[in-house]
Amino acid sequence: MKPFQYATATSPAGARQLMGDNGTYLAGGNDLLALMKEYILNPKILVNIKSLPGLNKIQPGGKVWMIGAAVTVAELEDHPGLKKTFPALPQAAAEIASTQIRNVATVGGNLSQHSRCWYFRQRDVLCLKKGGDTCYARHGENKYHSLFAGNTCISPVVSNLSVALTALDATAVVQRGDKQIRMTMPELYAKAWDNPTAHNSLEPGDLILRVEIPAQDRRSAYVQMSEKSAFDWALVSCAAAGKVQGGRISQAKVVLGAVSPVPYQSKAANDFLEGKALDTDTTAKAADLVLEKAHAHTQNGYKIPIVRALIHRTLMQLKA
Amino acid sequence: MPAWPENRVHIGSHAKRVDAPAKVTGAAKYTSDVQPEGWLYGMILRSKWAKAKITRINLDQARKIRGVKAAILRDDTGERTVRYYGEELAAVAGVSKQACLDALRAIEVEATELPFVVNVEDALEESAARVWEDAPNASKPRVREQGEVDKAFSDCAAVVEGFFSTPVQIHHPLETHGNTISWTEEGVTCWASTQGISSVREGLAGHLQLPQSKVRVFSEFMGSGFGSKFGLGVEGGLAARLSKEAQAPVKLMLTRFDESLAVGNRPSTCQKIKLGASADGKLLAFELENYGTAGIGGGGATEGGSGGVEIPAPYIYRVPNTRAKQFSIAVDAGPACAFRAPSHPPASFGMESIMDELAVKLDMDPLELRLKNDPFEIRQKEYRLGAERFGWKEKYRKPGSSPGPIKTGVGCAAAQWWGGGRGTQAEAQVNPDGSVEVRCGTQDLGTGTKTVIAVVAADIFGLNPEQIHVRIGDTQFPPSGASGGSTTAASVSPAIYDACTKALQELQKQTGVADARGENWKVACRKLGVNPLVVHGQWQEGLSSSGVGGVQFAEVAVDTDTGFVKVKKITLVQDGGLIVSKLTAESQASSGVIMGIGYALYEERVMDRQTGVMLNPNFETYKLAGLSDAPEIEIVFLDMPERGVIGIGEPVTIPTAAAIANAVANALGVRVSRLPITPQRVLAALGKDKLSS
Repeated sequence: MKPFQYATATSPAGARQLMGDNGTYLAGGNDLLALMKEYILNPKILVNIKSLPGLNKIQPGGKVWMIGAAVTVAELEDHPGLKKTFPALPQAAAEIASTQIRNVATVGGNLSQHSRCWYFRQRDVLCLKKGGDTCYARHGENKYHSLFAGNTCISPVVSNLSVALTALDATAVVQRGDKQIRMTMPELYAKAWDNPTAHNSLEPGDLILRVEIPAQDRRSAYVQMSEKSAFDWALVSCAAAGKVQGGRISQAKVVLGAVSPVPYQSKAANDFLEGKALDTDTTAKAADLVLEKAHAHTQNGYKIPIVRALIHRTLMQLKA
Repeated sequence: MPAWPENRVHIGSHAKRVDAPAKVTGAAKYTSDVQPEGWLYGMILRSKWAKAKITRINLDQARKIRGVKAAILRDDTGERTVRYYGEELAAVAGVSKQACLDALRAIEVEATELPFVVNVEDALEESAARVWEDAPNASKPRVREQGEVDKAFSDCAAVVEGFFSTPVQIHHPLETHGNTISWTEEGVTCWASTQGISSVREGLAGHLQLPQSKVRVFSEFMGSGFGSKFGLGVEGGLAARLSKEAQAPVKLMLTRFDESLAVGNRPSTCQKIKLGASADGKLLAFELENYGTAGIGGGGATEGGSGGVEIPAPYIYRVPNTRAKQFSIAVDAGPACAFRAPSHPPASFGMESIMDELAVKLDMDPLELRLKNDPFEIRQKEYRLGAERFGWKEKYRKPGSSPGPIKTGVGCAAAQWWGGGRGTQAEAQVNPDGSVEVRCGTQDLGTGTKTVIAVVAADIFGLNPEQIHVRIGDTQFPPSGASGGSTTAASVSPAIYDACTKALQELQKQTGVADARGENWKVACRKLGVNPLVVHGQWQEGLSSSGVGGVQFAEVAVDTDTGFVKVKKITLVQDGGLIVSKLTAESQASSGVIMGIGYALYEERVMDRQTGVMLNPNFETYKLAGLSDAPEIEIVFLDMPERGVIGIGEPVTIPTAAAIANAVANALGVRVSRLPITPQRVLAALGKDKLSS
């Protein structure tokens, strides 16, 4: 990697200032280290943001829960209050990487992590996402890639937390310049839908401070399917939230991960679910609607039946 | 004729690994832990092209990097036609990893890119680029034929056909290839991560044109090799030359990326098989066409087995009318070499798969079909014992008849291997204070060779294994062979027996103590006076033999909605003659099963046909089985002490993938005939993935 400086920030504005034009924020550092070792990122300065006040706290609330960006994935996984209130979130956290990684990985880092596409990560390949002119995955090895894409790059979002938080209607609070702005989860990823070089909508210098989840009486669940039993990326992940009364679901939201550059949802499917009895027919029709615009490439069509299975299983968990 | 003692205390017991404390505390020094005074890091520059003519390599800028002490070309001129992504071009040594990395990036390479081909299917095309200019990519088929195959097929009551493929598998020992080498006026000292200290010494002396007496190789602890660490390797030669140029010791350990590209792999296979039998299930006719790739060639490190594509067929069975046609296909990818039971896991997978297809056609229990046709008596016994332990009768159901979306299934498969060894020499040193040193120029790949030596010596002297100081991994010790082909236990144990038995006799003769063993030991040793007793021994006929079977039963659960396969249980029955160290043998058996699960479900080298690079040179997307993927593993050894010692490191991994594949087919009622059996392929076999090719 290239030489870099290291500094610790004590305030969000100070962090932004320290970071300058060519810096990066450092929290867990898992992916950052890999990107630097591969010379994909070459920051001049790493600004440690783990000491920023309040960033490492999970704060329950009657109206809104606040989860600091430096809270570790392991803390999410083990939090009794979250398990009770927003089970999708600790379920999504528990599926991330390995125990060792979860102990240092953070909420902010998971949400803002970069593509895992094996062309993007290959040191001697200059793909579209790295500023080249070809998405090699489109005509190459694409078994791990997207079924939905708004641009030529078909690298999917792999943040487990983004999928759960989208279903939970969470909002990210982001330090941009000297202001704090709020971005819904769809807004946090929208740019990756349109722009092949984007991993998310964050601009240089943007710093996720926390996510806010509105208190709700909906249940939630997260399920993922990988090739291996543990320490593996999702082939498909699914989060759902909804209120189930008398076997009928309302205020439903179904979100998919690893099949699109953004946490993918279908308004038609969510609308369809309103008031429906939660049964096999309903989940199958919801899956049809979610998959309406799916486009399989040469090697990833198998994700479609997995999407169907996971939508069914996740929605059924809401019944419990 | 020598014979193993009737009363065995530690031999065959669960005696602890003698080096376990050193390993868990970190006191054990592996090659990457060695830090001779003034040592430097070494690193290799690799081709970023799949194929190119390298016309010039300029090291000047690299040499100017702060901390860089040496930079060398692989070839004197710097000119070379590279034939795969990752081929070695040059190397640097420096005071830090970063200095080396900076130096690698500063090296200027002038190259003309050439057309390449990295996949078997592409390489078979008429218009494909040639890997070797003067030869077609497909080799001339080798045909072996006996009997009257076509006529026999027409006489068969049942004939089945299938197409089975296996991937290129990477060895990925957890300790990567590498050496720490110090070259001074006095000679060369090399700490090697190797399966053969003597072959490394020979390689070093030859490469550097030094007398072998000036080269000493150590390998006291090493983290496995699986067949890929027999020779010096390109990386070893480069480390030695860097040390000479830098006039300092150089430690050159490959990165995981390097490890994926250029130090060997198991060749792929594509097996078209036809099998015919009589109505009562007697095998009558067999035909195979097999091709696959060993990359640019077979590689040099083939001791312990072939690194070629060819597989033994019809594997463990004897079919009177047999035709096998096999050829290899060159592609621009790293060369194959020996890999734990070379050619057997794919042979087992293809043959045992078609056997199960035949059982379906004949409406027979697949175990019955095997018992009817297996010519090896020991394996017959193993099948019967295993079936009982596994509960085959209760668990076996007709293919596809398991209810519900998550279906369970069972399957079985078998292995054969040699496992004999010979030629080891050793010496036992009995000190006047009663302490014992046993020296042998073998190496312990992590399999437990030190423990094997300790328990043999302990039983002969009537001592505990902890009282034996085992010293191995040094070319100044009496020589032993390379550790491959499951030969080590059978080669080393008799030599230890011989040295220790003779030492005991000599001790008793010199001291007049009639039986110096056990509680008389210290008294006898004290009578030696000042000088220790050193006795040489060597491998003796009659204490080891060769030729094992081995069977495995697998139970799986397959999620037919998602294609996810979970191995629930493996029962393994393995003969290995006299089991010397039961604990480490069980450990080997577990490791064989876990490696077999990786081969069955996860592992596959992925090459990109557009760019020629490997896409998964890491543990993120080259997926190895982890502990959470490991099932309940039931290990049963068929102990046959009368046969003497036979190695078991390889047979225990041979049938795992075949048994799992058969269990998956039994669960689904359709077969996934390509390894690895991924969710993608399960769903495709079920007809649920209509879009992907």
